[in-house]
Amino acid sequence: MTDKNTDKITDKNRGDLLQGTLDMLVLKALQLEPMHGWGITERIEQWSQKVLQVNQGSLYPALYRLQRQGWITSSWKTTENNRRARYYELTAAGRAQLAAEQESWERLSEAVNLVLRMSAT
Amino acid sequence: MRALRNAMMRLSGSLRQRTAEPELEEEIQFHIDMQTAKNLRLGMSPDEARRAALVSFGGRERFKEEARDEYRSRPVEDLVQDLRYGVRSALGAPLFSLLAVLTLALGIGANAAVFGVVKSVLLDALPYADADRLVRVYSRLEDGSLARSPLSAGAVTDIARRQRSFSRLAPFMHWTPDLAYADDRGPQLVKGAMVGRGFFQTLGVRALLGRTLADADAAPGAPVVAVLGYDAWQRMFVGDPQVLGRTGSVNGTSFEVVGVLPRGFVGPMGEADLWIPLDLGPALSDPVRARQSHWLGLVGRLAPGATVEGAQREVDTIAAALAREYPDSDAGRLFTSEPLRDSMVGDTRTPLLVLMASAGLVLLITCANLAGALLSRALSRRKEFAVRVALGAGRGRLVRQLLTESAVLALAGGAAGILLAALGLAALRELALTVLPAYADLTLDGGAVLVTSVLALCTGFAFGVVPALSVSRSNPQGMLRDESRGTSETKRSRRLRGVLVAGQIALSVSLLAGAGLLARSLWAMTTAPLGFDPEGVLTVGVSLPPSEYTTPEASGRLYQQLEERLRALPGVTGVGSVSELPAPSMDRNGLTIEGETWPPEAGPPFIITTSVSDGYFQTMGIPLLRGRTFGTSDRPDTPHAIVISEGMARRYWPGGRALGARIRLGNASAPWAEVIGIVGNVRNDPALPDPEPMAYASLRQDPWGSRTVLVRTEGDPLALVRPFQRELAALDPGIPTRDPMTLRAYLADGLAGRRLPVVLMTAFGALALLLASVGVYAMFASMVAAREWEFGLRVTLGSPRRAIAALVLWAGAAWMAAGLAGGAVGVVVVARLLRNLLYGVPPFDPVALGASVAILLACGTVALLVPVRRATRVDPITAIKV
Repeated sequence: MTDKNTDKITDKNRGDLLQGTLDMLVLKALQLEPMHGWGITERIEQWSQKVLQVNQGSLYPALYRLQRQGWITSSWKTTENNRRARYYELTAAGRAQLAAEQESWERLSEAVNLVLRMSAT
Repeated sequence: MRALRNAMMRLSGSLRQRTAEPELEEEIQFHIDMQTAKNLRLGMSPDEARRAALVSFGGRERFKEEARDEYRSRPVEDLVQDLRYGVRSALGAPLFSLLAVLTLALGIGANAAVFGVVKSVLLDALPYADADRLVRVYSRLEDGSLARSPLSAGAVTDIARRQRSFSRLAPFMHWTPDLAYADDRGPQLVKGAMVGRGFFQTLGVRALLGRTLADADAAPGAPVVAVLGYDAWQRMFVGDPQVLGRTGSVNGTSFEVVGVLPRGFVGPMGEADLWIPLDLGPALSDPVRARQSHWLGLVGRLAPGATVEGAQREVDTIAAALAREYPDSDAGRLFTSEPLRDSMVGDTRTPLLVLMASAGLVLLITCANLAGALLSRALSRRKEFAVRVALGAGRGRLVRQLLTESAVLALAGGAAGILLAALGLAALRELALTVLPAYADLTLDGGAVLVTSVLALCTGFAFGVVPALSVSRSNPQGMLRDESRGTSETKRSRRLRGVLVAGQIALSVSLLAGAGLLARSLWAMTTAPLGFDPEGVLTVGVSLPPSEYTTPEASGRLYQQLEERLRALPGVTGVGSVSELPAPSMDRNGLTIEGETWPPEAGPPFIITTSVSDGYFQTMGIPLLRGRTFGTSDRPDTPHAIVISEGMARRYWPGGRALGARIRLGNASAPWAEVIGIVGNVRNDPALPDPEPMAYASLRQDPWGSRTVLVRTEGDPLALVRPFQRELAALDPGIPTRDPMTLRAYLADGLAGRRLPVVLMTAFGALALLLASVGVYAMFASMVAAREWEFGLRVTLGSPRRAIAALVLWAGAAWMAAGLAGGAVGVVVVARLLRNLLYGVPPFDPVALGASVAILLACGTVALLVPVRRATRVDPITAIKV
């Protein structure tokens, strides 16, 4: 019901690739500054020009998972509107993990693109 | 490293859970609020904006559950919740819970109780220091006619001189004679134990009060002293702490108490009241008695480094040497040395192991039954599990829940089982007192309770969890749909239940067959003709104090007067007396027949010999076959007369010339006697199928001061107890008597050891039958319940109810047949195990085996008919309604 645009990619169908991808996207979203959960969904949506919509039901488990792996930490802060919200922040390990995942993702997508282009010609 | 961090997170998560829960809530709320605000900005109405935000969030509770699962575990809170739920679900299915708890209680209780007995008899320490190093030495005859029999004073002395295996050796009198004890409260009979030098030192036992016996106490001319057993101290001296130095008199000799033995002490020869020093000197100085009179037990403590096998080899060598040195007396005699425990456990070992095996079978049945019950319960709850999975319960959570539920049931069953075991042991203590070795103290064994409980718990866990795993693996949606349509259990689980039921039937048949065989043996033992008529006879043990009845004439006169007085009592039809009533273990004497010699390597056979009064055969109802019995013509100054049993006549005079033969019973100092009569055989040991050869001497010529007097009456034998005591007191008020009892009761006491395994094995068989029937019922009841819809549909479609009944019956019959087939194997094992305990019954007795199968089939059929009935009454509406 939420996805009015059928071409939007959501993470409803949680395969291994997508779960790993969501984790990477969350880390990427946190690269610049600490953010709360809602901010992360908004940022991913913005950056993907609304192609990627993060299901909140997957986001929060992902956030806890990342915390448990020690890649992000969280703390309660007040927003600019003076509300309490939990902010998530990358750790050093998280930055390293992001770099690694980004590299392997790029290598993979390059390879996939290569294959696709070959068969297109 | 990561695992450690995970653990830390989870731990801190569980510690923080109270604060974490609202935090999670707040975070979600924040998210929804932000989404709502965004929706408003996009132009939605406030209501719509909020609903869209909520919807976009998806199932809020489900998400929280998942987030929680990711975030932390909640061990304590979950456990409490599971426990509460477990108790609630147990109470929600009272029949199932009662069944499971009872089954467990019976299985655990029976095992813990039986193991308590086995442990106290076979495993517990004997009441001696370092008891594993103690060895008992016996004598036996090479031809096998005597085993575990006493030694002569000469043999004991020679063994002690020549051996190197023992650091200490002590002789003692092989049995505990009745002693006439007298104090100011009157005469009574007490059990005396005569023990040689170093007896208590060898056993490593110290006195509770005062001292044990010292070597000097046995020296000739030393003051007469005695040590009291604990019970005797309580009974005869009322537990007087100042008992040391008090005096009493036994057989007319006064003695001084020098010590009291600790509670629970029992000698290798049995329990005794008075422990008196024994001097072998007089016996050794008599050349005939020294080697030809066998009356001593011998116990030794192995020297450091020595073994029982080494000791056996050594006594073998000594026996061979003695046979060469004293061919007249020691030829054909061997020695056996065996651990003292084995000799004290004696004949109880086989019945106890049989019981242990039976209890083990019952435990197996218990486990199978429990497994079946849990399996069917889990199956009937599949829908519930499916709902819980659909609502977001994780697999681990479900399994944990089931584990807790099993644990609640198992704990309740275990507690009830231990209670049952305690009650069972109390009952056994009553039943088994006369049968088990004297040192056995029946207590509940912690280890046994633990092992059986753990086994039952594991069964509960294993079979409670397996179905949950299969449920959580499967697709809950399909399951919910299926289940509402009433699909029956899967083929695989039904087969598993069938195997469990068949196994129970197999085990039950084995147990029932064993119980049947033992019961038939006992029946044969008690009903086979004894050779005498035990009804209507009173027996009273009488012991004349030797200090007052110093001559054979004096004691003979008293018994004659007593018999005359008793004969005059109203209703009395016969009076006799005997040195020893028929019993499994009796006095035996070596037989010499004039004009014949035994093969030198075998030596003489030992024949049971008793001395009887003139009226004995008539009173007992033993028929005279040829010749005559004893009468007034047999006097001490006339040639000795002997009456022999038919069996003895046949064995040693196959030509039929027994009457008039001259024989000697006993050693070279015994007089020659003439066989004057042949009487019917008597089965002295009701547990043996064949009567042993027996010889009777006359009490007129071989007088005994201590006898059993028999009175045959037309009325109740026990009504004669008072008159008997009155007549005896009229002759001499100072004569002690032993418990009067009927001859029937005396014989029953002798069979108590045979009755115990029968009673217990029958009880186990009944228990197994009950459990197996419950198992059959439970399996088919749940099968019918699960297929109710299917049966309804069949009826609707026109299937006759007969066909439905046949359907269930066939399934039941197939599994029962499988069980009986398995039972055949069990029966072979049981019959083999019991072979030595059987009497007059072949191991594959068709009556016992047929009856056990029939009983089982009957119970199984009844258990099956209830569900069948239910299946045929299924209302077709149930099939249409859904």
